[in-house]
Amino acid sequence: MYEVKDTTPLFVGKNYLIVDDFQGMRSMMREMLRIFGGKNIDTATNANEAIAFMEKNRYDVVLCDYNLGTGKNGLQILEEGKYRNLIGLATAWIIITAEKTSDLVFGAAEHMPDDYIIKPVNEATMRSRLEKVLAKKAALVNVEQAVRAKNHALTVSLCDRLLATPQTNTAELLRIKTSTLMTMGHYDLASQVFNQILAKRDVPWAKTGLGKVAFLRGEMELAQQLFREVIRANPAYLEAHDWLAKTYESQGNLDEAQNVLARSVELSPTSVIRQRNLGEMAQKRGDLDTAANAFRKTIKLGEHSIHKAPSVYLNLARVCSDKGIPSEALQVLKNVSQEFESHEIRLHAKVLEGSVYSKSGDHNNALRLARELAAVTGSDSALPASVMLEATQLFLSTGNKEAADNMAQALVKNNHENASLLVQVGELYDQAGMHGKGEELITQSRQEVVESNNRAVMLAKEGKLDEAIQLLREARILLPNNKRIMVNLANVAVLAMRQNSVNDELMQIARDCLARVAELDPQEKWCGQVQAALDALSV
Amino acid sequence: MENKETAPDISAFLASAIHDMKNSISVLIRFLDDNITKLEPAAQREAAPMLYEVQRVNDNLLQMLAIYKVGNEFYPFDLAENSIGEFVREVADQNKSLLDYLGITLDIDCDEELYWYFDHELVAGVIAHALNNASHYTKDKLRLVAKEEDGELVMRVEDNGRGYPNQVLEAGDAVNKGVNFASGSTGLGLYFSSMVAKLHQNRGKTGSMQLENGGAFGGGCFILRLP
Repeated sequence: MYEVKDTTPLFVGKNYLIVDDFQGMRSMMREMLRIFGGKNIDTATNANEAIAFMEKNRYDVVLCDYNLGTGKNGLQILEEGKYRNLIGLATAWIIITAEKTSDLVFGAAEHMPDDYIIKPVNEATMRSRLEKVLAKKAALVNVEQAVRAKNHALTVSLCDRLLATPQTNTAELLRIKTSTLMTMGHYDLASQVFNQILAKRDVPWAKTGLGKVAFLRGEMELAQQLFREVIRANPAYLEAHDWLAKTYESQGNLDEAQNVLARSVELSPTSVIRQRNLGEMAQKRGDLDTAANAFRKTIKLGEHSIHKAPSVYLNLARVCSDKGIPSEALQVLKNVSQEFESHEIRLHAKVLEGSVYSKSGDHNNALRLARELAAVTGSDSALPASVMLEATQLFLSTGNKEAADNMAQALVKNNHENASLLVQVGELYDQAGMHGKGEELITQSRQEVVESNNRAVMLAKEGKLDEAIQLLREARILLPNNKRIMVNLANVAVLAMRQNSVNDELMQIARDCLARVAELDPQEKWCGQVQAALDALSV
Repeated sequence: MENKETAPDISAFLASAIHDMKNSISVLIRFLDDNITKLEPAAQREAAPMLYEVQRVNDNLLQMLAIYKVGNEFYPFDLAENSIGEFVREVADQNKSLLDYLGITLDIDCDEELYWYFDHELVAGVIAHALNNASHYTKDKLRLVAKEEDGELVMRVEDNGRGYPNQVLEAGDAVNKGVNFASGSTGLGLYFSSMVAKLHQNRGKTGSMQLENGGAFGGGCFILRLP
């Protein structure tokens, strides 16, 4: 027959962590590891204990049960461990599970375990899987390092080098290589790899990859067709669902997008992000019941997760208010202020609280909040556009015209090129019975920004770069979210540094501006060009 | 709120019950194995059927769960490339102690260099079940074969027992044609194996399962073909 190789040296001197809520399993796995030669073995019964151990020690191998009862599951512990850098590149994370789930097999690549073992666990399987995983980790450690450092070119060349030799990790390397190529924008090269794989076999991840390329190239019909083919052959394949929903959304087919999101939530019931996506889509479509349920679940699931976010609470409050349950909306707003210690979020919550009162006809409280807000927000215009819009509406509905005008002016000046937002501002004034007033305010505020921006551009053209910079810096203080001002400021700073010499202050200003614009609008067209010019300076 | 009695949502219990049962089976198998190992060979042979029965409970659980999930389109069918050498060794290792206690030898004949695309859990479930079954009906020898034939992966589990009775052979044929008239755990096992075979498709070809008598030892012969 066959012989069990003595691989004890592989297991000696390593640190192990076992996480399982069942005492019998913990002692069984500990005993197995001891037989293999392991000595330093810690055991935890739940997520909190496991994370406390991970904060103290670096583990080489973690054997983690998937279903740990209440609290985080095994995948969520892994996610937090990676997010908080509690586990190193070489840590082998193995999930022990009673059943295979879509989350476990088809979840996000960056949060996948290195392997999963389906119960019943026996010594032979445990030994051979551990050997295999440790060998794989060792073979791919350089690649993973390059991936984490976001060094794309190095990642691809390391993958190519390994792929040129006989490999047991071919599929893994091809996945890493293609996803890196896609990040770099090399869609043709990624497509070539996918097509080579598909010429031999219908592999779902390769076909999904082709679909992603089609999506990113804007070929939505093709993308839709490919994702649907993947799902027809693999009804539980999560990634294709995620992308098909995005495709429908960008095709404007929100009904189908919601159907697909609802299905992906069924397949992956513990995913915080998928619940949130479903909620946002339903909210967009005005399906308030679905939205409220999805947001409630998102909050509940997110309780222990790194994906816990205030925006979900705020959205749930909006939906509850629209559904006519102000009591829940107010409770949610109270919770969000308590759970997130941030001045900005408390301000958001206050604006929404006022809207809830206003909508439910509680004018006294609405007035009280509007007054409180008017006192704090005065000239503070660094709030997100959506909140400023809601604050304007609150001020208008409570008859505080001065505060409304201040807020609306700040909103328009910060977003003077956002046509759809400007239309919304106008509509608020129309709804408040002040026809034309909004238009007037918009025209005037826009004009002010356009003029000071044009003045700066003229100065720059005349070669008066220092004056242009001065003017734009002043404008930026008043309009901290205006993209045009920031891009122009960064651009003039680059011109000035090119003419004279690189200077730290201007460098910092330019970098800050571009980073802020990218944050506000990842698709801003000019940003990339100015960034490239800036990068060229520092070489 | 309506105030009427509703049937309990069984699916909520199902997940945690399966979780518990799988833990219990893990510990039970481990306990039996540890203790049977300490016995004299004759006593081992007498105690071995306990291990066989626990293994059968596990097989049935796995089969029912997979059939339920595939039927409801929830099964995460994970088509991945597997090393045939590693796969065969892993399945054989799982059955090693039972076969040792029963005094049955297992010959392995597989292509070490071969890699094939299939769902590891499902195919391991089919082969482990076939080995467990064969251990019950064989005299003293089993053979596990895994090789490529005409563009398909062919896996065989052969024994030197008296072979399948006619009605089981007929049931095997029928299941392949989409009818299942076998009952009890024979029916479940056949249905599961056939379902797993059919889930494996590649470029217009579909997997299949077959029972026959003969093979290298002239006994029962279970065959799984995957494109």
